[in-house]
Amino acid sequence: MKDLGFILASYISAFGAAGALAWWVLRRGRTLARQLPDEDKPWT
Amino acid sequence: MATTAESQTTAPVATAPTVLHTGTRFTRVLGVLTIASLAVLALFGLIISPEDITQGESVRILYIHVGTVWVAYLAFVVTAVSSAAYLWKRTRSLTWDRIAGASAEIGVVFMALTLLAGALWGRLSWGTFWVWDARVTTTAFLFITYVGYLAVRGLGGSHQQRARRSAVVALLAVLEIPLVHFSVKLWRSVHQDASVADRTSNVTLDDTMLFTLMLATVAFTLLYVWYVFHRQRVLTLEDAMDDSGLDLALAERRREGEVAR
Repeated sequence: MKDLGFILASYISAFGAAGALAWWVLRRGRTLARQLPDEDKPWT
Repeated sequence: MATTAESQTTAPVATAPTVLHTGTRFTRVLGVLTIASLAVLALFGLIISPEDITQGESVRILYIHVGTVWVAYLAFVVTAVSSAAYLWKRTRSLTWDRIAGASAEIGVVFMALTLLAGALWGRLSWGTFWVWDARVTTTAFLFITYVGYLAVRGLGGSHQQRARRSAVVALLAVLEIPLVHFSVKLWRSVHQDASVADRTSNVTLDDTMLFTLMLATVAFTLLYVWYVFHRQRVLTLEDAMDDSGLDLALAERRREGEVAR
């Protein structure tokens, strides 16, 4: 495939950034949820 | 004055948290749908969809570029609507402020991805990563504006102060979106005009390419919704953490005052 490097760079950056952000959000949520009572979690 | 026995019965009982995450059944189902749709997008975008007659293989980058810019616009509009809901007295709630903040953060990430994918596509189509073109420049300006919005959110003060000042900034910042969108009509631009969404346009698109483009917008929108749910819950926990820290500091001061007396 022509220009494969550019095409893969766009997909890897988009999917990689999406995955990294998701991982960070979930990890941050778990860290904070461990330290706070369930009353502070209105989604429960 | 309460007796020791009374204070023992009325004192709040500290319970250990049982919910150790920000997920629900809905967000888990949404997460699975999002991963599946992104996987199908990668398959269609990289392998199944055909190359373009004029752009060749570089058209594959546009599925990422269009999908991410759609989410960035959506995120900034949701930030503005949530901010207006916070400022309106009848609906005033910090939940709106947290949705605005979560949405803006995601919008900034997606706008950065838009600029990156656009630069890669530009190198292949225009021969350069960057041009000081009206659309490209106003998009970069929009990105910087929302980085500024996030900086405003990070200034000190109470949650209400943060919500009020950032809501005003959000309502001003969203006015840039029409400027970015219509920049290709207002000024001479190398960036292409709207084609698929423009009914008067005579551009015809292969069915598989159109499907991949639509799939990109749907997949990234699902991802955006998943992010907003989780991120605004994390912001709720961060605010609760701030409040509990303040409560502890006040209790500490009271104890110090009692000891001094």
